[in-house]
Amino acid sequence: MDYLALYITLKLALVTTAFLLILAAPVAYFLAFTRFWGKSFVEALIYLPMALPPTVMGFYLIIIMGPKGWLGGIWGALTGGSLLFTFLGITIASIVYSIPFAVQPMKAAFLKIDRRLLENAYILGLSKRAAFFRVIIPNSVSGIVASAVLVFLHSIGAFGVLLMVGGSIPGVTRVASIAIYEAVEMMNYEAAGLIALSFIPISYFFLILINKLHEVSFR
Amino acid sequence: MKKFVVISALIITAWLMPLYSWAQDKISVAVAANFISAFKEMAADFEAKTKIKVDGTFSSSGNLYGQIINGAPYDLFLSADEERPAKLKKDSLADTPFIYARGQAVLWSAKKDFCQVKSWLDALKNEKIKKLSIANTQTAPYGTAAKKALEKVALWNALQEKLVIAQTVAQSFQYASTGSVDAGFCAMSATLSPEGKKGCFFVIHEAPEIMQAACILKRTANRAAVEKFVEYLSLPAAKEIKRNHGYH
Repeated sequence: MDYLALYITLKLALVTTAFLLILAAPVAYFLAFTRFWGKSFVEALIYLPMALPPTVMGFYLIIIMGPKGWLGGIWGALTGGSLLFTFLGITIASIVYSIPFAVQPMKAAFLKIDRRLLENAYILGLSKRAAFFRVIIPNSVSGIVASAVLVFLHSIGAFGVLLMVGGSIPGVTRVASIAIYEAVEMMNYEAAGLIALSFIPISYFFLILINKLHEVSFR
Repeated sequence: MKKFVVISALIITAWLMPLYSWAQDKISVAVAANFISAFKEMAADFEAKTKIKVDGTFSSSGNLYGQIINGAPYDLFLSADEERPAKLKKDSLADTPFIYARGQAVLWSAKKDFCQVKSWLDALKNEKIKKLSIANTQTAPYGTAAKKALEKVALWNALQEKLVIAQTVAQSFQYASTGSVDAGFCAMSATLSPEGKKGCFFVIHEAPEIMQAACILKRTANRAAVEKFVEYLSLPAAKEIKRNHGYH
């Protein structure tokens, strides 16, 4: 069985989840608590990766991260290497691909916080930053965990984007979903079946977790 | 804050966790899809003899070529044609190419009665043949060769509606062997696999012989190991494996 591919998938999902939680929190905060002209346009832009075909995402990521793209160009000038076909490359792709799934539940959780609680915090002299860490975050744990679970599940399922941006380099960018596809292509159904089977308990477990969280947050 | 610490710790562990030993010599090879089974056997044999690990990435030659142009970190490219390695050499991305195998396009079917006629042309005339798979004629050299043969016998246009395009020649064989299509244009190597022996095939003499060229990529970080593998490719042991897989 291709443990290496499973390991890459889990590593990618874990890194993506961790980065996105940190990245999405301020974004969700601004979407939930501030009002500015054109907000709905910005919000739609953030959710765009969810609405686009993965190959469209892959195409633009190749353009941006390729040797002639701005991101790939900067990276090339700094390190002399390419961003495409590296673990960092697929991590960036995976983060962009999952942004909506991180921001959406977090924003919903922030919106559900009782405004009076926040006002009390401000009256008691908490700064906006302190209120964010000491009132908002502790009161939206279930939403944050839901974000994490969704991003994690979405990341382990990514296929087209990663294949386009990362190729399929063993131990670097060959994730489990690509390994399954290739095993099927080579008619190695046994190998494909083993990796496929290992997904079922992982996904099932996280779905149960997310349902439990929903129950808790609606109680 | 506590959560942040836990998450950071997780990231660091994930980044640092080496699953396989770094000390081992390793090369990464981009392999044209028709050559997968031969490559795997050779890689295992080479690894046992030299302790150098050979990792393969498999796709159509055109796809792999695109990846290499965009900076994919392969050490060696085993293409299914001569043009792409030559282009890489011209763009000074690769050393001088060399031929490592000669392949043949075939028409394969999982149904044995498919071959109970004289030639592949007669077989195609059969009304019962509804779908045929062919590898992408632009990115897969075996697809290109099959197209050339069909054009030569003036069947290319007539067969358009029956053709199902596969991404690689391996996929074309997969479609045929699972019965998704009635027959498929494949590589001779596929007919010699355990699955391939269950069906029957016609050699397509109208298709040009496929000269498969390889080239060492200039960006390789492990030149000594790659050169050793290239040397191995022309040793009797490797030649034997290639012959067993239908190359000459």
